[in-house]
Amino acid sequence: MWLQLLTYTSFSFFVFAFIVKAIKYARMPVHLRWELYPVANEVGHDSGGSYLEELDWWTRPQRKSYIKAIAYIVREAFLFKKCCRNNRGLWYFTYPFHMGLFLLIGWLILLFIGAATMLAGISVAEGASAQAWIVHYLTPGVGVIGFVFGIFGGVGLLIKRLVDTNLRAYTAPVDYFNLSFILAILLSGLSAWYFFDPTFGTPRELMMSLVTFSPIADTNIPMTINIVLLSLFLIYMPFTHMMHGLAKYFTYHRVFWEDEPSRPGGDIEKKVEKLLNQPVSWSAPHIQSGKRWSEITSERPQTK
Amino acid sequence: MKKRIKDISQNPDVQMLNISVEESMPLPYPFNEPNSEPLFKPLTEEQKNRYECSLDGVSALGIPKPKSKEEEEKLVGAFIGGLRKLLRKEDNWTFLQPLVLSLNYCAKCNTCSESCQIFLASGRQEIYRPTYRSEVLRRIIKRYLTKRGKVLAKFTGNDVELNWTTIARLAELAYRCTLCRRCAQACPIGVDNGLITRELRKLFSQELGIAPKELHELGTVQQLNIGSSTGMSPKAFLDIKEFLEEEIEEKTGKRIKIPVDQKGADILLINNAGELLAWPESLEAFAIIFNTAGISWTLSSELGGYDAVNYGVWYDDVQLARIALKHARIARELKVRKIVVGECGHAHKVTTVIADRLFTRELNVHRESCLPLLEDIVFSNRLKFDSKKNNFPITLHDPCNMVRLTGIVEPQRRILRKICPQFREMEPHGVDNYCCGGGSGFAIMHSMNFSDWRSSVAGKVKLRQVLETFRDVIDPDSKKYVCAPCSNCKGQLRDLFHYYGVWEKCGIRCVGLAELIVNAMVDMKMPFLPP
Repeated sequence: MWLQLLTYTSFSFFVFAFIVKAIKYARMPVHLRWELYPVANEVGHDSGGSYLEELDWWTRPQRKSYIKAIAYIVREAFLFKKCCRNNRGLWYFTYPFHMGLFLLIGWLILLFIGAATMLAGISVAEGASAQAWIVHYLTPGVGVIGFVFGIFGGVGLLIKRLVDTNLRAYTAPVDYFNLSFILAILLSGLSAWYFFDPTFGTPRELMMSLVTFSPIADTNIPMTINIVLLSLFLIYMPFTHMMHGLAKYFTYHRVFWEDEPSRPGGDIEKKVEKLLNQPVSWSAPHIQSGKRWSEITSERPQTK
Repeated sequence: MKKRIKDISQNPDVQMLNISVEESMPLPYPFNEPNSEPLFKPLTEEQKNRYECSLDGVSALGIPKPKSKEEEEKLVGAFIGGLRKLLRKEDNWTFLQPLVLSLNYCAKCNTCSESCQIFLASGRQEIYRPTYRSEVLRRIIKRYLTKRGKVLAKFTGNDVELNWTTIARLAELAYRCTLCRRCAQACPIGVDNGLITRELRKLFSQELGIAPKELHELGTVQQLNIGSSTGMSPKAFLDIKEFLEEEIEEKTGKRIKIPVDQKGADILLINNAGELLAWPESLEAFAIIFNTAGISWTLSSELGGYDAVNYGVWYDDVQLARIALKHARIARELKVRKIVVGECGHAHKVTTVIADRLFTRELNVHRESCLPLLEDIVFSNRLKFDSKKNNFPITLHDPCNMVRLTGIVEPQRRILRKICPQFREMEPHGVDNYCCGGGSGFAIMHSMNFSDWRSSVAGKVKLRQVLETFRDVIDPDSKKYVCAPCSNCKGQLRDLFHYYGVWEKCGIRCVGLAELIVNAMVDMKMPFLPP
């Protein structure tokens, strides 16, 4: 039961830390605008332009397409186009690495579906119902491809960081540790499948036990190692820059593509007025430290 | 040997980089022959002894060398204090969220490196890599401001020691980036090394009072206290305005009055005051176009109102806000319908986008670029054009602040396609175009040997682009233009072309958009562009 407890704890911690981080960034003060074009949700400006190309733009409705933005995000998430265009050498490894991880998230979902199917009294095995049959074959397919892609990309990234002098100079021991940590998880997972469990039946049973809060009969050693490492990783990850997926939402949607003009009497104006009432403590001679932003910005700078 | 991150804090007497033409990026014809590029001017011995220049033998800031240990320690203490403020929402609400995201989530993949024109032009020198200065700052923050960074310094790679040399070199390094944000555009995560550089400049200015003289004392301070970053007082402005009216009459035979302080006008045009001195034909062209098109407009003779520039955007939020709010108050007092920003890239970005949230209540005046207005005039048949008057090879430079950072890409192109039959794009162009090398204030910075660095490093990729664009007509007898609808870009291109002798060797010069429009007008009896 200790394995389940560890899994519950680490997963809960990860979700909690993820939410705390997201709230922390979301609640940061409204900042001055800092867009970068092209903005994916702009409509009618295909060369990367914006509504500011239109005469008297404030008299026209601002046309935004969330479908366009989502299409861009999906393209970027599943093809890594920016990396492919600007850093092809890295893309050969980072792309399979991340795709492997995405597939493994899909694999976990398939395990959950398999567990739910079994709990519904339907066997997930050869010759079972069509739905169960798909889960039976898809689970090892997605899982193995995910593990193999992840390991290939991870090893490639590790070697590239060690060999490429341009990358090595920017890589700290902790970065090698992070990659090795992920590789250990992937290798233990793949070993469990290869040596003990070609249908991933045991992790499905573990998933069932997690859903039903019941003990699991047996697990093999690589799988136990795999779960322990994954659990520790889930606790460790929120403290690292590996949460860049979350950061990416904010850098793009709240900075580069924010594209939200302040309207008189609007929410942004109210928030900014509050911020302008805060005192400033910067010490340079041209700033009258201690006064409020609104006061300082209304005055001329003092000269030396 | 490749420089390591931690080298920035070591060997204060040894210059980290010696800039040499041989190691830098080669240029195409006619600068591909040996000795065809000008030699980089080193600092004099006296300058080397007086000022900190151990980064790369260039001094943008003129930081005097410390006289005592106490002076060194004072700087270190003040820097740490400034760093704390930079990361506190009370002091840095203006950019905290984008800064923290960029500091915390860089994957150090260096995908951004190849997008930086300074890194490329220098021959990929490590200290100019976009991630270099960010990584130095990141390591300092972790080591000196976080507990984890102190305890696990070796494991987490936080090996940069904070001393006077580190800070002085970092201050100089903050002025080896044009803030063009091409690197941010390349980053898959959205990390913005341009913003980190800008925030670093802000720390130096707002906490330590360190900023380039051209940007601060002669720039924003002069603009707010005298009226313009050029030092032009309101009275001098009015004198120049009269001179421009006389020049227009000489060129067109028409007496066109340039309206000033006209309450209730439709448009308040704010132009870069530097143009009145360096390119008076730009405002003359606007006056001719607006007059012919029957536009209701005015200039302002208020302190600061006749200068669109806002150098604060490059180094200081307080100065940024002071100038932006000054412009909005002037527009409000004149009761104009909108502010139109003339051909000045960074004024576009500040006035229309960055300062948007500072304009609260009645100060939220409508603001827009001059480019959609010019496009509307050109395509509305209020002016008659003969495009043969502009029948020369011409290309368009995309000012970063107007294009990549404000999203105004097409209006200027549509105008050029209509009035310039030989218009051709440079590669890359639009939002992907390279900076001219004069961005973030560089175009007006010329202390010691900084101008040489600006031309031979910062502007070199732009020169390569221009030469490649005109490679089939590179002969100096074939006169060609680079249209740069931005005063700073024009200033940089003028200096860049002068440094390399581009006019003499290739017959290329730069020009603004409004001048090209006027030159193509049927009404104009004489060419408006200089011969």
